[in-house]
Amino acid sequence: MATATKTAPSASMQKKSKGRIVVDWLTTTDHKKIGYLYLITSFIYFLIAGVMALVIRAQLAAPGLEIVQTKEQYNQLFTMHGTIMLLMFATPLFAAFANILMPVQIGAPDVAFPRLNAVAYWFYSFGSFIAVAGFFTPQGAASFGWFAYAPLSSATFSPGLGGDLWVFGLALSGFGTIMGGVNFITTILTMRAPGMTMFRMPIFTWNTLVTSILVIMCFPPLAAALFALGADRRLDAHIFDPANGGPMLWQHLFWFFGHPEVYILALPFFGIVSEIFPVFSRKPIFGYKTLVFATIAIAALSMTVWAHHMYVTGGVLLPFFAFTTMLIAVPTGVKIFNWIGTMWKGSISYETPMLYSLGFLTTFIFGGLTGVILASPTLDFHLSDSYFVVAHFHYVVFGTVVFAMFAGIYFWYPKMTGKMLNERLGKIQFWLLFVGFHATFLIQHWLGVIGMPRRYATYLPEDGFAWMNLVSTAGSAFLAISILPFLWNIYITYKRGVKTTLNDPWGYGRSLEWATESPFPRHNFTSMPRVRSESPAFDLNHPEYAAPEAKADTKKKG
Amino acid sequence: MKFNANLMWLLTAFYIAAAAGYTVWYGNTHQGGFEPIGSAAISMLAIMCAFLAFYLQMTANRQGAVPEDRLDAEVSDGDFEAGYFAPWSWWPLFLGLFAAVCFAALAVGWWMFFIGFPLAMVALIGFVFERSRGLNAH
Repeated sequence: MATATKTAPSASMQKKSKGRIVVDWLTTTDHKKIGYLYLITSFIYFLIAGVMALVIRAQLAAPGLEIVQTKEQYNQLFTMHGTIMLLMFATPLFAAFANILMPVQIGAPDVAFPRLNAVAYWFYSFGSFIAVAGFFTPQGAASFGWFAYAPLSSATFSPGLGGDLWVFGLALSGFGTIMGGVNFITTILTMRAPGMTMFRMPIFTWNTLVTSILVIMCFPPLAAALFALGADRRLDAHIFDPANGGPMLWQHLFWFFGHPEVYILALPFFGIVSEIFPVFSRKPIFGYKTLVFATIAIAALSMTVWAHHMYVTGGVLLPFFAFTTMLIAVPTGVKIFNWIGTMWKGSISYETPMLYSLGFLTTFIFGGLTGVILASPTLDFHLSDSYFVVAHFHYVVFGTVVFAMFAGIYFWYPKMTGKMLNERLGKIQFWLLFVGFHATFLIQHWLGVIGMPRRYATYLPEDGFAWMNLVSTAGSAFLAISILPFLWNIYITYKRGVKTTLNDPWGYGRSLEWATESPFPRHNFTSMPRVRSESPAFDLNHPEYAAPEAKADTKKKG
Repeated sequence: MKFNANLMWLLTAFYIAAAAGYTVWYGNTHQGGFEPIGSAAISMLAIMCAFLAFYLQMTANRQGAVPEDRLDAEVSDGDFEAGYFAPWSWWPLFLGLFAAVCFAALAVGWWMFFIGFPLAMVALIGFVFERSRGLNAH
């Protein structure tokens, strides 16, 4: 064509063809691009599982089977809702934020094993697809609940391809998570910038390290348990056969993974808000070291509390697990104390990331308190498998993962894309989400107390659950609507957003990612500031208020 | 590195104490009974932490003080070469894809495994030896 003969612009200015862009994303080994892939994929799974939740809520709005046709469909919906939200949304969301930020925060050009990082993503992505592909089979997806209790999950009681795909898909995606964990640990131990000692690392990086150690402790037992379940289902092994105590073995193995998993979801998001509170309070984090050791204590204890999910089996050592579970509330309380201490007498401003972090704090405290209630065996015997438990874990998990995810996205969006998201839409979204969430789940505590069991497809009018369920369903509609302003926000920012030229658009950023360009250059830094405290970017941009170590250093060396 | 090793030793000690406490407590309340799953699981955590601690301690002793552990290190004290980072690679995608075929085969049927496994082996070899310059050539 004639136009092709025109003088081409210089290589860096050349607009990439569509095919080139696709190839770039498919073959990328850049930790930030892999992080964006994780972020986008997990957000899509969040939307899919969210739609499932809406169908579940619609079904429960009134007595009777009006929305789903069979109870089997309902079972598939709540099974896949749980599986997707925990293992295809929240866990990879940790990998997303850790990939995007952790190397920048320690001043590294990339992660230690960039190609392994890409393998980890593809294992997660394909594994998750296999696990949800059950929906495309004639019998449908897995329907034994996301914790797949034996013997319900055996080939006798849950036959069908959907269950097999669930087992092996999760195994593959689990290997991806383990690889990611190993990669993060290696990167943090070996690739920190000079002067970035362990106790100068940002809290988010610390939490990534501790979470990754939890990953390599608890995902291998899951892989072993899943392969054993697969052998039972496909090769007629009798590992989880009730004749030889299989159900207890499965529950032990599953929860030995399952409880630390909850902290794998929580700790990175604690890290995100720990980055946000100091920036919008204009104060350094209060009690840096206690925060770090509280994280380590939570992680260490979280491996010894698994059987509090199994109180009602009657076969576990109740006092031991009640003691360790209540003990874990102490370091968690220390963290909450630290966050409040950070805000105390700070000059707080309420930008969207700060609003979300406060939303996280409020919601998480509710969930933590009901957690202490459930840790007591005498109370748990009454509340186990009721809607009280459903309300509890939604407060914990939604509070940490979703609120902190939006906090993190709004906070770091200018670093990821070079453009700030719209503040007004962000605030509208926050209030819709906050009100919608509490309307949906607060009332479920009382539903549980008056005895509504979880995982039942419907209830009778005489049960007296109807009006509370209706309130909950109405709340879930608000919750769903709150995603629309967010998607609109992403779209108009893409179309009309103004590029920021600042390294630190919020003005008071502390860790190293605020000392490099927005968006990040390919290997993160073109120049790096001297690291003399846990907030090198703040020391650089506000020398008059810098940390004492940094001031002393400037005085000495100029 | 020194601190990391100590952290892992701390975790080792904690899990040894937890395993012992769990086992003894269970025995006391169950007339000398023994619950193998929990005792084994916590003990294995202790072993894993001890492995990591030992490795980190050996590395720390061999390495001596590194710039990232010194409070007064300058950026220029770091290694001149940060390392070699593959700019792009096709192999992770193929390895993931063919591994997925193998895993799906376990659920679907063995015929798929015999297609996926050779391809996954090719992808694995390609992944491992991509940009390899031979033994000790770096």
